[in-house]
Amino acid sequence: MQINTLGLVAALTAFLSIWIGHVAVRKIEFISPTIGLPTVIFTTLGVFAEYCSLITDSVSLKTALGIAGITLLWDAHEFTRQQKRIRKGHAPANPNNPRHAKILAEHPSATIINLLKREPVGRPVSHAEAVKLIEHH
Amino acid sequence: MNLFGIFIGIVTLHIIGFGFPLVVRGERYLGYLCWPYMMGIGILLIIASLFIQGDWLCVIIAIVGATFVWGSTELKEQAVRAELGWFPFNANKIQPPFESIIKKWKAPHL
Repeated sequence: MQINTLGLVAALTAFLSIWIGHVAVRKIEFISPTIGLPTVIFTTLGVFAEYCSLITDSVSLKTALGIAGITLLWDAHEFTRQQKRIRKGHAPANPNNPRHAKILAEHPSATIINLLKREPVGRPVSHAEAVKLIEHH
Repeated sequence: MNLFGIFIGIVTLHIIGFGFPLVVRGERYLGYLCWPYMMGIGILLIIASLFIQGDWLCVIIAIVGATFVWGSTELKEQAVRAELGWFPFNANKIQPPFESIIKKWKAPHL
């Protein structure tokens, strides 16, 4: 029986590019004074990857570049979504980043605490308790 | 020159989109301790894809598998989100088999 590795290539590319993108978007959004520039860079890289996928002859490479390119384009959009999470307090703001400092001043829901950085306790938790649980983490 | 890779990329985006309700519903009804099962299903799907000769079906099955594996790493954080009230909290979850053993393992998070 013949083995078809194309799916494995696709799965690995998808998993790794989503993982790297997930971490990169959060880190870059945290420190960057603007989200416009990273959005433009990721969009350009995404379009370039799709172009390379179009012109290459290798089916494996076509697949990997096609997936990585769309992931980059999605990540470009994620910068805007991440900024919204910062406003809502669903992701921690960086007070040393002037853009985040402005968000912290204008949005009472914004916070410098990462409310997700703890183990689940198995019951609903109030905001005050959630903060305490992070401190004890 | 053909659009196969680009189409695969777009299809992948949509399959991963299905990972969002998978994580939200999975956590709500089964709890985050179902993560080894979700990860196992994902790995089995990726292995199964190796034996599918048609490229489209092979890739789709593998991407669904990758989505399950990724979803398994998101469950713990989703449990915390539900506890915070960002998503509905369900107190009457169905306990997955071997829950007490799984509890001792560190739930993955990326």
